[in-house]
Amino acid sequence: MFWRIVRRLITANYGRLFVILLALGAGAAITSALLNLQIDAKRRLTTEFRALGANVIVAPRNANANSGGGTLEESLLAQLPNENAGKFVPAVAFLYVIGAVAKAGEIHHEAAVIAGTEGQGLTKVRPGRRTEYSADLEKDPSACEVGAQAAAQFKVHAGDSLHLRNQGREATCKVFAIVGTGGPEDTQIFAKLPTAQTLADLPGRISLVQLSVTGTPDSIDKFIAALSQQLPSADVHGIKQLAEAEGKLYNRISGLLTTTVVIVLFLTSLCVMAGMSNVAIERKNDVGLMKAIGGSVRRVVRLFLAEAILMGIVGGLIGSAFGIVGSIWLGKAVFGVAAQPRWIVYPVSVGITILVSIASAFPLRRLASVRPASVFRGEA
Amino acid sequence: MFLRLVADSFTRRPKRKLLTLAALALGMAVATAALSVSLDVGDRLAQEFRSLGANLLVTPEADSLPLEIGGVDYRPANAGAYLPEADLGKLKTIFWRFNIKAFAPILETQIKATPVEWVNGGRNVQTHPVIGTWVNHSVKIPDGTTYTTGIEHTNPWWQLTEGTWFAEGKNECVVGKNFARHPPGFSSPLGPGQPLFTYMANGERGPTLEVVGILDTGGLEDDAIIVPLDLAQKLAAKPGEYRRLYVSALTKPEDAFARKDPKTMTPAEYDTWYCTPYISSIALQISQELKGTDVRVIRRVAEGEGTILTRVRTLLWLVTLAALLAAALAVGASAAASVIERRTEIGLMKALGASSGLVGILLAAEQLLVAFVGGGIGYAVGILLARLLGQKIFGFAPEPKLFLLFVVLVLASLITLLGSAYPLRRASQYDPAPILRGE
Repeated sequence: MFWRIVRRLITANYGRLFVILLALGAGAAITSALLNLQIDAKRRLTTEFRALGANVIVAPRNANANSGGGTLEESLLAQLPNENAGKFVPAVAFLYVIGAVAKAGEIHHEAAVIAGTEGQGLTKVRPGRRTEYSADLEKDPSACEVGAQAAAQFKVHAGDSLHLRNQGREATCKVFAIVGTGGPEDTQIFAKLPTAQTLADLPGRISLVQLSVTGTPDSIDKFIAALSQQLPSADVHGIKQLAEAEGKLYNRISGLLTTTVVIVLFLTSLCVMAGMSNVAIERKNDVGLMKAIGGSVRRVVRLFLAEAILMGIVGGLIGSAFGIVGSIWLGKAVFGVAAQPRWIVYPVSVGITILVSIASAFPLRRLASVRPASVFRGEA
Repeated sequence: MFLRLVADSFTRRPKRKLLTLAALALGMAVATAALSVSLDVGDRLAQEFRSLGANLLVTPEADSLPLEIGGVDYRPANAGAYLPEADLGKLKTIFWRFNIKAFAPILETQIKATPVEWVNGGRNVQTHPVIGTWVNHSVKIPDGTTYTTGIEHTNPWWQLTEGTWFAEGKNECVVGKNFARHPPGFSSPLGPGQPLFTYMANGERGPTLEVVGILDTGGLEDDAIIVPLDLAQKLAAKPGEYRRLYVSALTKPEDAFARKDPKTMTPAEYDTWYCTPYISSIALQISQELKGTDVRVIRRVAEGEGTILTRVRTLLWLVTLAALLAAALAVGASAAASVIERRTEIGLMKALGASSGLVGILLAAEQLLVAFVGGGIGYAVGILLARLLGQKIFGFAPEPKLFLLFVVLVLASLITLLGSAYPLRRASQYDPAPILRGE
């Protein structure tokens, strides 16, 4: 009998059913979409910061940086962890040599910094814009990349060759790209590490390693601490310019997101609740009738609670499912990568919806004071 | 009579109307708060991103190739070109002058320096890099005003761990923390108040500097001596000149349009590009003002900033949109409910001879009234919320925007009318007889 009445309560008025489900479902959809997006966005944000390039440097310890003299073992590059918090860590070893450079075939050489590089992700640790690029030439073992200012100085383009010279040692390289970074890299020539080692007569040595570590400010600090313990012979430090700004910005942005999402969710719940309560008050007639034919107040309230919970479950299940699917699409719109659905979000947002639904049945408590006679007379 | 009927529906069921009002006010508060944060956040975040430091680098156009490794130029002092310091005021005369947040010129040189005085000349004293720059420098702008700027604004991560910055025109200096910890030829660490004796390349005595502070930058400046620009010019014998200029500018993130080559733009496009604070157009304006310079965009800063700003902004707009949607649906639902439950009343009015149109107008007028009051309250609450939010996150409350009130009121009216449109249409089609019978 109880469930039969509940069923009748729900199906009696399809218009009302639709309105209730719409409000609850919309609330649930927004709750789940925002929660999912919020979790995903924070994680994604740390990835976005890597557009800033390398943030950790492994350099020789105690070397007087001014002399540029100290070097490290090349084998160190292989010892570096290539993951932090499940994200690939690009690491590139550099060996700097000041040599004389000229376009192949020209006599006049000019001094320039030649950087030998080795490792995964040069474009990640040294972000810039390649104005000329040829993927075919890049595979060449003597390929090199030239900074924009250096390229202008030596009048070279992709496909041209450069002649490199240092204290009687010579090498040539084929330009495969021109890169503009706005930094000192614009004046440098990026050759393969063996080329630079030959020029400098430092086989198996490197000047430093640059890493681009993805993660929250805390996890980057931990990464640095762990690495300095692992490499006692080297000095591992974060780039202060990026570390400070990143930490500050990360905290600001994630704080902004969390607060906005919390406020929006809170107000949305209240808003749905107010709307639903309005629907609930309308039930006076039903309550009056039930009481008139002998329903106890407790029984009547239980009926309506059962209805509210059912509605919450149905609205929550449907709405949250829509929300999660929506957030996947939204993640794609914002970050270009689909947001990963977090399954924890689903039960949480269904739970919130049920709570909202029960809370909006709250005015029904006051229905206990409804006097059947006055309801039937049409008095409010 | 019409007004009386409207007024009556409010006074007779105050609780019901209060709930509709509450739903509306809450919904509109969400909308206002989210909208004002979204509108403001771009500018606030762009300011925050300036903590990444300068995004433009100005160097002499006809320069020899700098031999720079890790921030130190290995060129001899007489090689390469220099730029006149006197021109720098012109930076604040470009079209986007208010977007130039800070700038600082740099002149690097080298000097023999030691904390102990050498009686027989400084021939054996080690040479150290010297960086001359501005700190809290007043620049004369051609329009007669002055502007205060310096390296502590372009490079906010340059922080003093001890002491103060040097004053201009005095023989004062700040030393990097590594230099301070192991001063050459001196056993104990160097601290503020101690002298630093300098010697020229030929061993002759230079000016005696007083150390006033210790600098921590995490970079190669930690091994250097930082002095006022005028002092560096004296030491390098390059009066009134500098070699590098860092500019920190507020910019609009680059979009597809900004990446077009300005040379291929139509005149109208070029004007739009020139009058938008893209990093590339500001760079062009600076190079037009400072003759003989090459203005380069520091890509890692500019592009990192661009992508992150765009993403965060889109994200917040999405949150705003979600908030609006939720508000709209809840308000719509409550508007619909309030019409559904008044079927009897509508039936009675029609039985008494009211036309469907009149009933519709009556109910719409009521809803609009609720929308205006609710929208107004929601706006006030939303602005308060936005202030709290701004204060908490950025330490700066966004200005209340009056046009948002207008937006919110229009939104509230639209939502309530839309929400009640369908039930109202149904209501106007009701046949009074069965309703009054209670069927």
